[in-house]
Amino acid sequence: MATNRWLATGNFFSSYREEQRIFFTALDRSALLASLCLLVLWPLLVTIDGKYMLVIDTILVAVVAVLGLNLVTGFAGLISIGHAAFVGIGAYTVASFARLLGENHVVLTHAWPLLILLGGLVGAAFGALVGLPAMRLKHLYLAIATLSFQMIFQWVINFMDFFNQGQTISVGRVVWPGGTVTRGQHYLFWYYVILTVIVVLAFAVRNLLRTRYGRCLIAVRDNDRAADAMGMHPGLTKVYAFALAGFFAGVAGGLQAYLYRGVGIESFTLHHSINYLAMAIVGGLGTLHGAFWGPAAIKALDLLVEGFSAWVGEMLTISGNLATAFKPLSFGLVIVLFLMFEPRGIANWWRIARSYVKQWPFRY
Amino acid sequence: MKGNRLQVAALAVALLVPALGGQCLAAGKVHKLGLSLAITGPTSDAGNPYAKGVEDYFRLVNDTDMLGEDTIDCMIRDDQYNNDITKRNFEDFLSEDIIFFLGYSTGSTLALKKDFEEEGIAVMPASFHAGNTADSNYVFLPIASYSAQLVGLGEYLAAAHREGVPKVALFVHPSVFGRGPVEDLQKAIKAGLKLDIVEVVEHGKDLDNTAMLKRLMSKGVQYVLTHTVQSPVASMLKDASGLGLAATSFGEPGKLTFLGCHYTGGNDLVALAGDAAENFNWVTSYIVTNEPGPGATAQLQLAERYGRDDKAANSHNYANGMMVAQVVTELIKRAKAGGGDVTREAMHRELLAMNGDRAFSPGTTVGPVTFSATDKAGVDTLQLYVVKDGLFHSSGQPFTPVYTDKIK
Repeated sequence: MATNRWLATGNFFSSYREEQRIFFTALDRSALLASLCLLVLWPLLVTIDGKYMLVIDTILVAVVAVLGLNLVTGFAGLISIGHAAFVGIGAYTVASFARLLGENHVVLTHAWPLLILLGGLVGAAFGALVGLPAMRLKHLYLAIATLSFQMIFQWVINFMDFFNQGQTISVGRVVWPGGTVTRGQHYLFWYYVILTVIVVLAFAVRNLLRTRYGRCLIAVRDNDRAADAMGMHPGLTKVYAFALAGFFAGVAGGLQAYLYRGVGIESFTLHHSINYLAMAIVGGLGTLHGAFWGPAAIKALDLLVEGFSAWVGEMLTISGNLATAFKPLSFGLVIVLFLMFEPRGIANWWRIARSYVKQWPFRY
Repeated sequence: MKGNRLQVAALAVALLVPALGGQCLAAGKVHKLGLSLAITGPTSDAGNPYAKGVEDYFRLVNDTDMLGEDTIDCMIRDDQYNNDITKRNFEDFLSEDIIFFLGYSTGSTLALKKDFEEEGIAVMPASFHAGNTADSNYVFLPIASYSAQLVGLGEYLAAAHREGVPKVALFVHPSVFGRGPVEDLQKAIKAGLKLDIVEVVEHGKDLDNTAMLKRLMSKGVQYVLTHTVQSPVASMLKDASGLGLAATSFGEPGKLTFLGCHYTGGNDLVALAGDAAENFNWVTSYIVTNEPGPGATAQLQLAERYGRDDKAANSHNYANGMMVAQVVTELIKRAKAGGGDVTREAMHRELLAMNGDRAFSPGTTVGPVTFSATDKAGVDTLQLYVVKDGLFHSSGQPFTPVYTDKIK
């Protein structure tokens, strides 16, 4: 084994503790630090339109949500088709304060980090509640239970006056030590906020997976009876996985409420739940960085398809019907192709690339 | 040889520079606008002809030099009835320095209302939801709100009904769009409008309405006021016709008479419901193309000029899109005539001044377009149409609901 970790080719562990390291090599750590520096610095060096900043911020919010979905579906193996409802619960927690106190109340404008955290906690509470059936249900039956939650959520929001019957509830502009975040600063400000949240939560997930609680999730996913026999509590582990996913989703919802400066039911429908699931699958279920690749890939696909549909619209007279069909077709096709040819998602391509770099110049 | 080439190049430059320079000097300003709407996806049956109406009219403006040397560049983007995409499109338009935004749905207009205020940009959506204009200085409805339409229908049937207080059921879309005017109609009843609302039905995606229609009959309902999109109305009309429950004349005893607001009617309803659409009563502020007039001629000529099919050409949503394009063009004309630059502020100022002597008659509507700081709905008058022999025909004169002022 090379003593210089910069020169190490491949991963070599001489102790269990070494295998549990956050960074396996110095190159890993340096690459992450460089990536973080790049992510922090690029908006200061390059000016881009609000449209693209909004797209980037939206991708980052989706990353937070998919990090949670990956915990419950990827690591714990529990299918959730109601993830958008959990995101909605976080968003509506913020919106509830706007309804009760007014959109520009000091609680919303100054205590926004606490409200986002509260969104996560409420999401966790609902996650645990929805996770209770997971103690008894599995596979398709559990999927239907989460789908029911999605439907109940939509129904409640659509019909309750308090939630403005699904109509947009406005959320005011936030204040930070530099003053009120203006419209010109809005997307950049939230870019940094969401990026910070992602870094914290990603490290939390990485650390979780090094603990016995994280290993419980994987053990229950792989064989819950064996996990039970080994002294784990599969039922509680599943509830706890749903609560964690709910927390992440709730935080994403809180961030979305502030980013879009309003909350409406249109952003938390079944379609969005399927979208989150697709992001997790395309990114790579059961991997940490799959949660980053998936949202970026699906949103990029959305933009590409939109652009292509617009182009088709200009070229063909039957454009309306064709473009209408093209988006769901391409979306479904990508999912099917990934499931068929790359069920481990984009994260697997990343793994192959990393592996190549690590082993270079030796090929085996 | 080399010398010859240089001479040719010099000659070309000498000829091109004045030509290009002259062209630059002669070229007018380009006024940028943005339209985000559902060309595909939900409600695209309305959005598609609407987009064509907007696009064609602005092409006409540019092709016929209606603004002199100035031209209009209206960017049209499909938002698939998705608020998040509308917001993205709006941000895109802002980076292009648009001076006016043409919106679409109720949800997206409400979601972006704060942005419109902060940007100080005037907006005209295709949604006539009264709530769009609440707490807003920049959202303007092209025609009377859904509330005014529903109250107007209520007033019409209260006046036309012969015996006692008419028993009414409301059949509305299960969304903000559908629910919005219900409360206003209830307010109008409290204010003295003689109607009895027996039931409010928020329809689903039912393919059969037999149970609902039988229930309404058993409750003694005589009229069904609809405020939704065409397909659920068509489905209900076909069921009512099949069950023998549809009235063959207005207010026929023991039968149901159906009435609807802007987005329930039009040629698409007749195409969907067929004969069952006969005697359907529809209210809107737009003209229909089967009734001759300068507006109808202009609409049909515009559609023909740009090769639109009959369906689009005769659509009231084509008229809808054409009308908002007419209003925006008029605003640019007036702002130019004012002598200043055509800016967002100028467009907003001209909108607020569009009243009295400066009211605008586009021809595609049954009344003039008027706006002011307190009047955010363009055409205040409504026309009732009734389907006879597969076509919508005017019934009576255009009217303005009186209860809309009483419930403000």
